[in-house]
Amino acid sequence: MSDKLSDVRELARGLPRRPLLAVGVLLLLAVPFLFPSQSDLATEALVFALFAISVDLVLGYAGLLTLAPAAFFGLGAYTVAKLVVDYGQSFWLGFPLAIVLALILAFIVGYVPIKRRIGNVYFVLFTLAFGAIVHDFTYVTTWLTGGSDGLGFFGPPEVLGIDLGDSTPYYYFTLLIVGIIGYGLYLLIKSDYGDVLHATRQNELRMRYLGYDTNRELMIAWLISAAVSAFAGAVYVGLVGIASPSLVSFALTGDVIIWIIVGGTGTLLGPFAAAIGLVFTQELLQNIWQGGYRLLLGVLFVVFVFVLPDGLMGLLRGEE
Amino acid sequence: MLEIPLITTDNFITYALNGLSRGMIIFLVASGLSLIFGLIGLINFAHGSMLALGGYGTYVVMQATGNFWLGLVISVALVTVLGLALERKVLYWIYDEPLLGFLSTFGIGLVIEEALAVYFGSRSYTVPSPLPESVQVLGVSYPSYRLFVILVGAVVALGVGLVLVRTRLGLEIHATANMQSTAEILGVDTARIYTITFVLGTALAALAGALTAPITSMYPTIGLDYITMAFLVIIVGGMGSFKGSFVVSMIVGQIIAFGWLVLSPTYVRILVFAAAMVFILYKPRGFFGKAEVHE
Repeated sequence: MSDKLSDVRELARGLPRRPLLAVGVLLLLAVPFLFPSQSDLATEALVFALFAISVDLVLGYAGLLTLAPAAFFGLGAYTVAKLVVDYGQSFWLGFPLAIVLALILAFIVGYVPIKRRIGNVYFVLFTLAFGAIVHDFTYVTTWLTGGSDGLGFFGPPEVLGIDLGDSTPYYYFTLLIVGIIGYGLYLLIKSDYGDVLHATRQNELRMRYLGYDTNRELMIAWLISAAVSAFAGAVYVGLVGIASPSLVSFALTGDVIIWIIVGGTGTLLGPFAAAIGLVFTQELLQNIWQGGYRLLLGVLFVVFVFVLPDGLMGLLRGEE
Repeated sequence: MLEIPLITTDNFITYALNGLSRGMIIFLVASGLSLIFGLIGLINFAHGSMLALGGYGTYVVMQATGNFWLGLVISVALVTVLGLALERKVLYWIYDEPLLGFLSTFGIGLVIEEALAVYFGSRSYTVPSPLPESVQVLGVSYPSYRLFVILVGAVVALGVGLVLVRTRLGLEIHATANMQSTAEILGVDTARIYTITFVLGTALAALAGALTAPITSMYPTIGLDYITMAFLVIIVGGMGSFKGSFVVSMIVGQIIAFGWLVLSPTYVRILVFAAAMVFILYKPRGFFGKAEVHE
């Protein structure tokens, strides 16, 4: 077993990175031609992958275990839906507005807990309460969110004669956006800021002695994560055409945490790949064993937490 | 006489009793969670699924035998054994890492909930009340089953409370929660104390699930709703404080019972959650908490 594992690791290490990346990109570009009927699913997978890496930024890099990522995802979705459905505004206006609202909300929610350094355990419970409030809120404020019916239905508009409401154009639109933002997050992590964040997670006290304002560094990660989550939500609502309370549910939060753990916390690529893989797995299993997917997901998650806490990426890298 | 236009004295008594029975269920969930959190420092997300198992177990045995009480006893016993196995075989070696503990109990809870969803479907089940008749309380006709729930809650509160403050076991639990290493040196078998506390907490959750089955319907994710509330109760009451979780559960029960006269129930929930968020930030030990929470 361990021989085989080390073989896999050798293989992973020996593989040239750039050609592999090129193959991956080509594959993503070719999806609508290879699997024309699966474009929507591929779009969904990409959006969730973006969502996963945005949460990985706070969870894996900043070390803040949040139970409220779905709140920001849902905020983005509801912002776009509200503008289009109730106010008849442009679809595109929703994107900047979603980011601004997410930044404001994240700042309000995150400011005091980060400033007071309430500790991991309390941060989990704090965000659990916040997530529950947002979920309840979307149910009761029917005038604002449409309650349990949600806000729908609508599709993305035409741009330059291309109807984004079609599956394939929207897939490429999503791919473009996810590529840009994902690459941006990658650059951010590789930058000095990424190192500061990493060091802060390792030893916050020492970083403060060195003169870093660690609260500010954590706050920046928290805000960026919220903004990207909201953006992913906005893209997602363009795909499904309706913002409903399931987008702010605890189940979605649970899914994100599972993607991240299975992929490997603090690796970006791991959660990205795991989200895509698990979304497709869900679709495959849907036809074979209705309802069994989430049970398998839970079992998979437990196995990873206990056996492979570093996730798939940790397995490939073979770090001790 | 209390004569607000909306509410008569009879209504007032009924609501207060409703609040009391609901508060007792919350208390059973919260006290177990609080014991586990206060002593072990484990955010036990599997606690809610233990409640769900208790409820579904009661339902299954009752379907088979027609006897609710038998179902209650058997399901609580089975879940207790499950809790014992879980603690001994799986959880005991991750106590030092709160995040790993959270993630693993979250996963275990997910597996149990989804297994229930696969087996029973996501529809909700109701269990007929074993004590369908009503009795006169303070001039109000009130379902006797709910009175029974109140009684059980009170007995458990008194019993566990006495064990905690009056017995050797309670002393050892306190000592272990305060300073595990010192307790160990002084001859306390802290591994055993951890096991006993975890199993006791799990049994209380299963009891809550079994008791709530005839009052509310059972659905696979029922545990999540209860533990979200219970977590916030133990924050306000003080982590690890048995008395705190009792007092705050009673208050929350009354707030929920009377709150809907003023606001819709969901708004009441939102207010409770918001209050808990403020407590986490400014008074994380709650009203009654003393001991440091393990980081």
